Amino acid sequence: MQSKENQTDTEMHDKVYDISDKIYKDSNEVSLESIVPEAPTKDVNYWRSFRELYSDPDFIKERENEFSKDALERPDIEEGSKFSRRKFLALLSASAAVAASGCSNFRDRGEIVPYNAKPDSVTIGLPNYYASTCTGCSSACGILIKTLQGRPIKVDGNPDHPVSKGKICAIAQASVMSLYDPERLKNPVERTDKTSPKEISWGDADDAIIAQLKNAASSGKEIAVVAGKIISPSQKKLLEDFVKAFPTAKVYSYELYNDSAKNAAWEKCYGSKYYPPVQLDKAMIILSLEADFLGSDGNKVVNSRLFAANRDTETEGKFNRLYSVEGNASVTGLNADYRLILKTDLLEEFVLSLLNELLLVQKKSALAQDEAVLSKIRNFNLDNFASKNNLKKEVLDHLISDFGQNAGKSFVIAGNMLPESTHIAVNLLNEVIGGNELYSFKDAFIEHQPMSSKADIENLVSDMNSGKAGIVIHFDTNPVYNMPGDSGYAEALKKVPLVITMSEGINETCESGNYVLPVNTMFESWGDYRTRSDFYSLQQPVISPLYNTRQKEEILLTWIKGSKNEFNNEIYHSYIIDNWKAGVFTNVSGDKEFMKQWYAALNDGVVMTNAGTAQSSGEAEPAFKADAFTGINQRMTAGTGMTVVLSKSNTLDDGRFANNGWLQELPNPITKIVWDNYAAISPKTAKSLNIESNDLVKITTNGGTLELPVFVQPGMADDMTVIDLGYGRSACGIVGKDVGFNSVKLISKNSSLTPFLYSDAKMEKSSGTHKLVTTQDHYAFEEKLYKDIQYRREIIQEGTYLQYKKNPDFLSDRHTKYTEEEKEKLKVGSINEQYVHTGTKWGMVIDLNKCTGCNECIAACNVENNIPVVGKEQMGKHRSMHWMRIDRYYSGTPEVPKASFQPMLCQHCDFAPCENVCPVAATTHTPDGINAMAYNRCVGTRYCSNNCPYKVRRFNYFNFRDHFREGIQQEESFSLMQNPEVTVRSRGVMEKCTFCLQRIMLERQHAIEENRQVKGSNVKTACQEACNTNAIYFGDQNDETDPISGLNKSKLAYYVLEEIKVKPNITYLAKLRNVYETEETGSH
Amino acid sequence: MKNFLLDYNIKVRLPILLFVVLAVFVITYYVSYAERIGVGYMPAQPIAYSHKLHAGDLKIDCRYCHSDVEKSRHANIPSAKVCMNCHSIARKDKPEIIKLTDYYTRGVPIEWKRVHRVPDFAYFNHSVHVNKGIDCSNCHGNVAEMEVVEQVKDFTMRACLDCHKNPEANIKNIIPGKQNLQINNGPVNCGYCHR
Repeated sequence: MQSKENQTDTEMHDKVYDISDKIYKDSNEVSLESIVPEAPTKDVNYWRSFRELYSDPDFIKERENEFSKDALERPDIEEGSKFSRRKFLALLSASAAVAASGCSNFRDRGEIVPYNAKPDSVTIGLPNYYASTCTGCSSACGILIKTLQGRPIKVDGNPDHPVSKGKICAIAQASVMSLYDPERLKNPVERTDKTSPKEISWGDADDAIIAQLKNAASSGKEIAVVAGKIISPSQKKLLEDFVKAFPTAKVYSYELYNDSAKNAAWEKCYGSKYYPPVQLDKAMIILSLEADFLGSDGNKVVNSRLFAANRDTETEGKFNRLYSVEGNASVTGLNADYRLILKTDLLEEFVLSLLNELLLVQKKSALAQDEAVLSKIRNFNLDNFASKNNLKKEVLDHLISDFGQNAGKSFVIAGNMLPESTHIAVNLLNEVIGGNELYSFKDAFIEHQPMSSKADIENLVSDMNSGKAGIVIHFDTNPVYNMPGDSGYAEALKKVPLVITMSEGINETCESGNYVLPVNTMFESWGDYRTRSDFYSLQQPVISPLYNTRQKEEILLTWIKGSKNEFNNEIYHSYIIDNWKAGVFTNVSGDKEFMKQWYAALNDGVVMTNAGTAQSSGEAEPAFKADAFTGINQRMTAGTGMTVVLSKSNTLDDGRFANNGWLQELPNPITKIVWDNYAAISPKTAKSLNIESNDLVKITTNGGTLELPVFVQPGMADDMTVIDLGYGRSACGIVGKDVGFNSVKLISKNSSLTPFLYSDAKMEKSSGTHKLVTTQDHYAFEEKLYKDIQYRREIIQEGTYLQYKKNPDFLSDRHTKYTEEEKEKLKVGSINEQYVHTGTKWGMVIDLNKCTGCNECIAACNVENNIPVVGKEQMGKHRSMHWMRIDRYYSGTPEVPKASFQPMLCQHCDFAPCENVCPVAATTHTPDGINAMAYNRCVGTRYCSNNCPYKVRRFNYFNFRDHFREGIQQEESFSLMQNPEVTVRSRGVMEKCTFCLQRIMLERQHAIEENRQVKGSNVKTACQEACNTNAIYFGDQNDETDPISGLNKSKLAYYVLEEIKVKPNITYLAKLRNVYETEETGSH
Repeated sequence: MKNFLLDYNIKVRLPILLFVVLAVFVITYYVSYAERIGVGYMPAQPIAYSHKLHAGDLKIDCRYCHSDVEKSRHANIPSAKVCMNCHSIARKDKPEIIKLTDYYTRGVPIEWKRVHRVPDFAYFNHSVHVNKGIDCSNCHGNVAEMEVVEQVKDFTMRACLDCHKNPEANIKNIIPGKQNLQINNGPVNCGYCHR
């Protein structure tokens, strides 16, 4: 096919050689200026770390090499293996002997062991999906568990679930690793004197415990059951039955994180108990006050979906505007269109100033007539507040006018760490701006059992101390770790005669228990969950318990029934069925009909009930009680000392997932730090304390003291710090033990605001350092190539929404900055031969308007593609194995940065530079446009990685499964977790994203089976499936009907490093910021 | 004298020796090729199941037992329950059937010896081949004639590619009823089999 295009290509070839001549002539000084234009004069500089921003000489030197110095370091043989040299030699000789004796049977190919009786639903090699419920946290999202011949290997979202709608978070993705964790507790353990552990049988444990329970009940000693948040109706009934059977029992419900301040405020303002769900998808203006609703605050799965629903560049009026006022640099804040930096404890004053502006100045809403309300806000003034705290006046003006224009479509969200008084003020603010219209009452949250109050917990501790409590049962909770440092729980527990702890893995609470009972994971359990009024979500076991464990509900049920012989595997299942007969499927006649419905319900995983049942019936939209606001006597005022915010970890929850390597290794979305928590502080605070990243500081709150490293984070408010909870587990498996620092110690039971906010803390420099590993500046280029790279190369292309609406071609118009001569040079064709992909051509589109940088995709990719955990040390050596990364670029100043997120994975270039340099042709192209790796051809030269412009290839410097934490990933149970459709790579080979080739091959198999063509939209990659905001599209670029073939022709579409002519197959849609400016500038 | 002996050794004996060594190597290489790649491998099975009887004489379709072969990458080995579909009645008194019944009633799976094997790093897919009409016998030989199953064909990558590049010459048998499906050249890129 000798087209005109091809002819120009030949001409272009000559030009390429011209330029290369020029380059090679002045060989020493390869001048990039010859190809790309001069550095920009306007202030657009993108940077990923301070080292990059300030051109740290070490950093410049470091990036001269393709691989970091550390990555190329020779392994220490002694340290490298779990075997000593002697053991190695012994094994060597032994294996030689075995090999020699095995010679006679070299043709033996082992056995194929079929089922004895294969279930009809199983097809060998094809997965089965079972609907269930994730109980990783109290959101209880619906999941589909992918099992392969009985082994759960992946968790996806259940599309039928009305809340999570087919999406789940990183924790649920990685939960299969917790199931196969070889360090799970495997047998009941008895410690008679609380020290020497002894494995016992379930029967013995049951006998002993039942006798003691009966004793305690008859002698009037309290039996305390410490449970988490109860979200299951059957579990609630079970606990009630337990109290009936043992009348001295008392159930406590405690969670480290809670939104009790928010709920308490709601109750005071509106009278009903729970803060309702919010229809964020109807909000066009969202103001977030320290609320990381796209990150760790609340149900991120739902919030992200609802938020991104209004990030549609093409439909008029479907692009929301997010304002964020915060002291932390959170995911939400850095995704905001306008971000104002304000110390957390000033937020209440900010809200009151806003109210003052809206009610007294602008006289919006009927509340402007309410003198009682007005008197409370008279003393505040937005202008004064703004100038005092250095908030940009024009942003506040925009905010006020946006509120005015979007009445009923604006909403203010406040963070869970803020105190009740702030939440009340925010509720009032929502009343004023019409945010109350977005509350949703038909699917209200449901409370099965109130959370224990501060006083309840104090009573429990004093009962334990005084000997009134005879038995404490930890119902799969870890209060020794999770209770505030000064609660005295751990000490009090030592005085309790009998402590029973149920747990999946070893934890701090197990260590002071008489009985430690191993419980099932969510993959092995039955359950019914109800978090909202309009539906039930069911949980069913998909694998029989791997070890000698029981479901925690089964254990209690056996005790209630009073004999070890009452136990059987179906005991809790039939208990739930009985509850459902009485409570849910009440109008079903006959057992047979019931079971039919029950199995149908299990199949769907979700049962919708008519809204308007018990809890929500007749609940009209409650009216705001202004006296909740006017009655506040004590307001949050800015403290004089350091402000400490304790935030929920993005991955570890309250520490319960600490032993999950995949989660520990998932970088923090903002700081990109792995395997640690830290105190994040602003550059100015760091300067005033004379400290830098990695230095240890001592932080003192009224709860306790903690020494931990600091990380200097751009965009933080001064004089405050944010610390993740959930780290620093002292009793845990080998993976999570002593990773990070236990910031729960800083929580005080007498916290004046909330347990997560301290305004009068102290931070002082301590001696020593702790090296934090952050991946933020990994994969950087050499200085010469790199200087101003973002501008010259336009890896990130951004604009504003107004700019786009004014001129949809603004992206391509920008290129007018090139002179004619430069444009000519940029036109050079590729030196590669054109290969025309006639059939399917796979491609991906990533919409940066929707991407929030949350990392869910990485977690899903890890599970799908058998990515090993490498550990902190190896991550520090740039040896990360994640196939995907999310590059986070800052622009603007370190004090007021903007952020841009960009998922980066193999671009599957049509003219892949990696393929040209592979000496053994291990990486080659498929006809449908995929850059494939044949691992068994790879000899590990790493030339491909060297030549990859995107730095997305990962090299196995070790067999990381063997190399990490004494080879724990080699344990047999972990081999059950691997996806059999993807090769498990070993040492010395290169690997990278395959576009989930195994899924494409499955579609090809189905297409051939059905005698049709491969259909692009039938394939969903793991990252695409996991993306909460649907920012990732995958499909066939040659198929006109495929959504992506339209998207990649969008006016916002661009390729990264388009000018190097490798023709990537991943299209990015440029991010638009919904600001009032019509041109993108370096800072707001 | 000494000189002559050295000359003789270098000029005559050494070449002969080298020739013999080389010849032995080459002959062994070719003679043992079939054995090395597994052709002729015929392991004894835990139950003396006869494909000749079932597939040959009784003309039971391969897909009656290997039922997933059209749906999945794997051609499954039937579970004991499938055998019992007939043998709970038929030939209950024969010693091999007694063995089978014993496995079944105890609930123990039968550990069949594996005959054909493609390495782990090659993702061979039965269903795409069978659904294109390529008969089992093209790779597995005429199993219907085998009392004990043995490997008769080459299972190396070369054999795969020979057929992928030139299916007309290599595919001898088409599954009845699927003759009108067009068999194109198979993919020869790395990624479809190695991933």
